[in-house]
Amino acid sequence: MRHIFMVPLVAAAAIYAVPALASSDDCSSIAGDAVLSARTPQVDLYDGPNGKRIKSVDDDKFPKCLAVTQRAPNMMLQVTIDGAPVWVPPHMVNYRLTGKKPAICRNLAMGGTDTKVGATRALGEDCPQKPATP
Amino acid sequence: MLSSRAEAGQRMTNPVLNSPLAGVARSWERARRPNRDHVEQLKSRVPYWFVVLFLLGFSVLQIILNPFGFSDLTQRYTQDISNLLITGPFLYPTTGRDAISVAVIDEQTLHGLQMPWPWNFSAHARALDAIREYKPKAVIVDLLFVDMRPDDTVGELVDEIARFRKDGIPIYFEGGIDLPFGEAPIRPEIARTGVPVLDPTIEVYDGVVRQYPASGHCYGRNGLLPGTCPSLALRVYQDLYPAHPLSPMHDKMELVWGTKTAPFNVRFNSGPLPCNDDASYALRIYRAFFDKESAVGRCPYNNDIPVEALLGGGNDADLNALIPGHVVFYGGALQGAQDKSYSPVNGEQPNVFVHAMALDNLISFAGQPQKNVMTIGPYVFSNNTAQIVAIVPIILILSYMHRRRIRTRGRRIDRPDHGALYDWFMDKGIENLWHWLAFLLAIGIGLVLARWSGLSVANWAQDVFLSVELAAMLLVGAPDSFWGYLHHVAGGSPGDALPEATA
Repeated sequence: MRHIFMVPLVAAAAIYAVPALASSDDCSSIAGDAVLSARTPQVDLYDGPNGKRIKSVDDDKFPKCLAVTQRAPNMMLQVTIDGAPVWVPPHMVNYRLTGKKPAICRNLAMGGTDTKVGATRALGEDCPQKPATP
Repeated sequence: MLSSRAEAGQRMTNPVLNSPLAGVARSWERARRPNRDHVEQLKSRVPYWFVVLFLLGFSVLQIILNPFGFSDLTQRYTQDISNLLITGPFLYPTTGRDAISVAVIDEQTLHGLQMPWPWNFSAHARALDAIREYKPKAVIVDLLFVDMRPDDTVGELVDEIARFRKDGIPIYFEGGIDLPFGEAPIRPEIARTGVPVLDPTIEVYDGVVRQYPASGHCYGRNGLLPGTCPSLALRVYQDLYPAHPLSPMHDKMELVWGTKTAPFNVRFNSGPLPCNDDASYALRIYRAFFDKESAVGRCPYNNDIPVEALLGGGNDADLNALIPGHVVFYGGALQGAQDKSYSPVNGEQPNVFVHAMALDNLISFAGQPQKNVMTIGPYVFSNNTAQIVAIVPIILILSYMHRRRIRTRGRRIDRPDHGALYDWFMDKGIENLWHWLAFLLAIGIGLVLARWSGLSVANWAQDVFLSVELAAMLLVGAPDSFWGYLHHVAGGSPGDALPEATA
């Protein structure tokens, strides 16, 4: 008789638990960092972290559960698609990263009434110099 | 020296004395050695029209000739103080601030992402794509793509423009100005997309941005076009906010700088100094006048979003609050880029925030920004003309009161029915009242102009200072003395003055 009371409880738990498990992490088979799925209607694939776009893939054709093989300082993620390593911009995918995401901080209170810069950088280094007048 | 009556008698009998040359000689003699008694008596006979002309002449000279830069200084100083103490903290609404965000590439972005400047087109395309995914109201790219450096990723930026178009999100670029070798104002690959290209010019006066242009260059698919087009902020406003049409702009916008820093910036700021020093209003007044550096805000007014936060992806709650439905400026704050200036209420800040503030003004004032010209019907008056027109009623009223005071004084001299102490206090009391009357008249007329024709405080504040100067000139009797002297030199008779002074 006790099992009769347990059935609705188990069913209710299953109703809540199954979608939660599915949505939180479909890619539990992949250890470490993973790209879970496409986030935008199209995902651009690049040949390097600062490279050129190779192609764009529609979200329904973008593979799910890709292991991240490398993370670039500019946050691009390297994954392998069809056997080839490519880089994806993180804003275009849902991803899971191990460890803590680096904090983005700003010292916005920079304003002062003193001018801080009086030159344009990196220009003029190779310019021909006028010969000094005697 | 002969009295006027004796002179008149001699002239009638002696034909030599009656010649024009003799008249000039007598005038010259009176000019060199005026009879003080005569001048004093003639002073009291100064006519109303002369007082008006004298004050008007003084005002016109001061307004137009701008002696010692006094005119400019008072205008700009008043605008700054008004921004810091009145309009910024109390009157300026936050409507615009809550509709605008600025995505900034700064030194920390370059360092954190290890992406040295300049970025390739692909990187900009990715950043813009990240913004687009949050569904902004529009995006304005505040970076100049002028240089024809070899970069085979330019097509990615062109594709990104197409994605914006597909999503129905307006995107604007900026064109170069003053390019000395006839370079194209923007890369032809971008221009050919037909994306709107706007003029990024801003107005800087002594390093501080207080005004914003209403018009600028026009750009088409093939570069610069003849004629003038609306400036960046005006064009964006016209496109995005048709429900509140822009009032006709004939010269420049006078920017009102907000002082209520965006709450996100206050919270996000992790530096050792806060965005603003909390201070009582009295302390703020003191600082505004005597220690301005401590009164200005340290953080930008509009929301400041670091670009690496966008490129990092994820579902950020802050970005979800700051980008969807917002007008987003995408620009840089890089050392050495020479793209920074001061505002009256901030320290040095990237110029992308100037464009943001101009659009902020247009949104907050519902298309009726403050201006530096006065428009009455079909006529547009420059700010000098507006100030002269505004000072005229003040002069008429002050001159009338001055004339009345002279007559009253004359009556008191004739009938000394009050004690000297009473007279002294009455005179001084009324004289002091004059100052306040002139001051209040000018402020009142200025406020009417501001309300009625959108003329900024900077463009009528000088009338307030000028009205006090005029009152002071009347108090010391400058027009009276000048009239007395001129009248005396011209041969005026004090005998004629006496009946009127005692009338």
